Amino acid sequence: MRNISEAIKRFDFDEKIEGRAQYAADLKDRQMLYVKTLRSEKARAKIMSIKYPPLSPGYFIVDYRDIPGENRLPLVFEDQPFLAVDRVNYIGEPILLVVGPVKKKILAIMQEIRVDYQELTPILNIAEARQRQEDFIFEGKSCFVEYEYEKGDITEVKKKAWRVVEDEFRTGYQEQAYLETQAIVAAVEDQRITVCGSIQCPYYIKEALRQALGWPEERIRVKQLPTGGGFGGKEEFPSLVAVHAALAALKAHKPVQLVYDRQEDISCSTKRHPAVIRLKSYLDDRQRITGREIEVMTDAGAYAGLSSVVLQRMIFSVGGVYNIENLKIRGQAYATNNVVSGAFRGFGGPQAFFAMEMHMENIARALHMEALALKRGYFLRKGDTSTTGGKLQSDIKLAEIVEKIDKISGYSRKRRDYDAADGGFRGIGCSVFFHGCGFTGSGEQEIIKPKVRLRKYRDNTVQICVSSSEIGQGCLTTLRKIVAQVLEIPVEQVQYDYPDSDICPDSGPTVASRTVMIVGKLLYDCARKVKARWQEGEFTVDQAYVYPGHLQWDNEHFRGNAYPEYSWGANVVEVAVDPLTYEVKVLGTWAVYDIGTPIDEKIVKGQIDGGMAQGLGYGCLEVLESHGGRLRQNNFTNYAIPTAVDFPATESGLIDNPYEYGPFGARGLGELSLVGAAPALAAAVQQAIGRRVRQIPLTPEYIMELMDDED
Amino acid sequence: MVNACRPLSLEEALVMRSREATTVFAGGSDLMVRYRQWSGVTPDFSGTVLFVGHLPELQRLDREKDTWKIGAACTITQILQAQGIPDHLKLPLLSMASPSIRNVATLGGNICNASPAGDTLPMLYALDARLTLQSRDNARTVAIADFITGPGKTILAADEILTEITIPPGDWPRVYYKKAGTRRANSISKVTFYAVARFDGDRIADIRMAFGAAAPTVVRNPAAEALLQNIDKNQVPAWLETLTTHYADALRPIDDLRSTGKYRQQTALRILAHFLRRELA
Repeated sequence: MRNISEAIKRFDFDEKIEGRAQYAADLKDRQMLYVKTLRSEKARAKIMSIKYPPLSPGYFIVDYRDIPGENRLPLVFEDQPFLAVDRVNYIGEPILLVVGPVKKKILAIMQEIRVDYQELTPILNIAEARQRQEDFIFEGKSCFVEYEYEKGDITEVKKKAWRVVEDEFRTGYQEQAYLETQAIVAAVEDQRITVCGSIQCPYYIKEALRQALGWPEERIRVKQLPTGGGFGGKEEFPSLVAVHAALAALKAHKPVQLVYDRQEDISCSTKRHPAVIRLKSYLDDRQRITGREIEVMTDAGAYAGLSSVVLQRMIFSVGGVYNIENLKIRGQAYATNNVVSGAFRGFGGPQAFFAMEMHMENIARALHMEALALKRGYFLRKGDTSTTGGKLQSDIKLAEIVEKIDKISGYSRKRRDYDAADGGFRGIGCSVFFHGCGFTGSGEQEIIKPKVRLRKYRDNTVQICVSSSEIGQGCLTTLRKIVAQVLEIPVEQVQYDYPDSDICPDSGPTVASRTVMIVGKLLYDCARKVKARWQEGEFTVDQAYVYPGHLQWDNEHFRGNAYPEYSWGANVVEVAVDPLTYEVKVLGTWAVYDIGTPIDEKIVKGQIDGGMAQGLGYGCLEVLESHGGRLRQNNFTNYAIPTAVDFPATESGLIDNPYEYGPFGARGLGELSLVGAAPALAAAVQQAIGRRVRQIPLTPEYIMELMDDED
Repeated sequence: MVNACRPLSLEEALVMRSREATTVFAGGSDLMVRYRQWSGVTPDFSGTVLFVGHLPELQRLDREKDTWKIGAACTITQILQAQGIPDHLKLPLLSMASPSIRNVATLGGNICNASPAGDTLPMLYALDARLTLQSRDNARTVAIADFITGPGKTILAADEILTEITIPPGDWPRVYYKKAGTRRANSISKVTFYAVARFDGDRIADIRMAFGAAAPTVVRNPAAEALLQNIDKNQVPAWLETLTTHYADALRPIDDLRSTGKYRQQTALRILAHFLRRELA
């Protein structure tokens, strides 16, 4: 038997390298019409009237009145309309669609449509939302959700505290910057609608279509096409795009293509939540950290979206990898008239770990200790409880992880040297972090209820039927490998195509670093059943998720195991800050992870390198600012993501620590690789400039402000 | 629909240009972005597009004694790869855009685009580049500083084409270039500084300094340069304060979506001080 970690050629390699892969924008059909979205120009306004020009034959306008079902996007809260009715809450909110055969004419029609607005006073950031006493956006309150939970006895700790260290950190927007913009093709045929496109979660879309059209699910088919990246940006947002395309196809009785331009995509699709995080650590007379109070605030934008779930992950991650017995953690997701914040690789983790890791740096400085030495003293271990009191039941190898990263990066030595060479504009930083794999709490059981199916054919081939989508992360390959390894057959004998809801059961969305660990494990179990019946010829086996007996979760009080399992990691980043321009030059990046067993070493390396670059971009390059509710940067000239020459290659390593409940011992990885980059970078910059870093991205402009301060 | 002409010679191009309003299109790396529309819709050019990038008359790259004559439609890559091109011409080009853009973008295009952040412009100002503007019946030569009048504005007449860029002779043993951008490659400049100097022993025989992206047009200050003329290079730090004042008044940087006026101003002056203190001596 082959070692499962050994890399094989990806199954989507040839079609992508040769340019054969057909993306949504590549699909041509003589009948096909194009769709363009008319969007709000105002951050907050009532729509008083809309004047339409006369339309030539073959051209259509689709607005909220064309929605046969409910005009509510089915997410956690159903507050967002598919198309605006009489008010708009953010610039870029979809109002109507123009549909027709010639793009230039569609643009001309768009030009002639007159929307008459009555402007209302918008809420443009967290501070404004906190001050607002009336005229709220969401259900008469300033937040979509507000959470609070405690561990231990923080009141007692505060009474006995000898010292308090306080910090406040801010993080900015981040754009997913997938290579392929939002793209959907829809067609109606024989009383059924088929929607195909660039998506992460076929069943989210199916549910949105069911709600918008009011059709039974048998009449709805959703298929993924080759997809040029997702990073969370194709988790919940494409539901909106898909419903728009479906409405257009229904009205025009023709297939339609709805593909966003880059500027439109950046301007109006979901972003990573900007956050303000306040931390207060209490130390006793022996300089031990005995408790913390943490408050997390996010700018959720105009609609609730997934902000509640992102906030949960943020408050379950913000305690970091440290065992602190007494905690009080609060979180608020504020409603503002900005673009809707949503899912993005890391899902609240990057903000949380940036804040906690920088806070630990600052506590270490206050105690005249080296940061990593301080951190080591509090590392979580097997048998400890998480911030929500869930018992950590797997081996936690943080000590090994940091020992390994210290060795390959030379962190400790360089840290000392740079401290000694005060004013050298060089620094090195280390972050230690985790990512909870799978849905929050018992969400896999309560909300998702994932199911997988294997179909075995007479010719001894086996077909994987799951809704997991290939978004570049390699699941077309890794899931095949898992099934082939269990069945002890060549991987080529396993079939797995882009998911199609007519064929695949709902195995959950392709999010939350759950595909290999949760779906892969279901396939692993399913394949064992297939193996037991191998001689039977042709048959089908389904496997449903069962919440592991060793876990428990109380979603009302946030008590228990906040995630089914965790992956762990450490990053080191070494920088030089240009003393003239204050540009940050990254000199080296190192990464060590415990992801259990890697299912394909090359795919794992791809996730590590990509996550690292995306995380460093978040930390120092990617500036996205809302001015008056409008995002100033809306293309790749102004919104600078890293190029191949911005950061050096990452030297990475893995810790051997198979996970008992994962397929062949695997845990999640996709998000973990992004989470720790920005805090390691920020710690390095802080050392390099000798000034306290309080926000990311660390632009030269911000570093200049810090240098101008007499710290 | 876009009306487009592809002349076979410069002469034909100039005739076309004399007859109607045209947009001169060399590499297109600025124009295609500026006039782009919804993907799949033809770019929204207002007048006739006149392709000139292929014209051999605009592709010459000659050295006459020590004068460089560069055809306006030479791409940045062509210039970088030309035999004997001195470092002081190469340096800013090497950090411009990306290899793929440098393969189509032309020197003439960068000049006529007249962006305050145009990456070749500080060098051309510092080297006193002269531009040949040709019309059907006429040709004139102007200094680059007189050619560009503001952001996106030049004195190019509706019937003229920029045909050639002349770099006067100059031996510059000291070359310095610093660019602050949004990232390390394929980046629009936030602020740039270009300087060349020549010495006679320890005495500064000639010095030129130019700032990009720090004002509506490139900032060069001959009066400030003259202050350094003929002084011993070790004496330069003594002039730092005076020079800083000179340039601080001349720089007029703006706040925009890439940076702030404050950053541009401070960074420009910090680079100037560094150059005079450390790079020149």
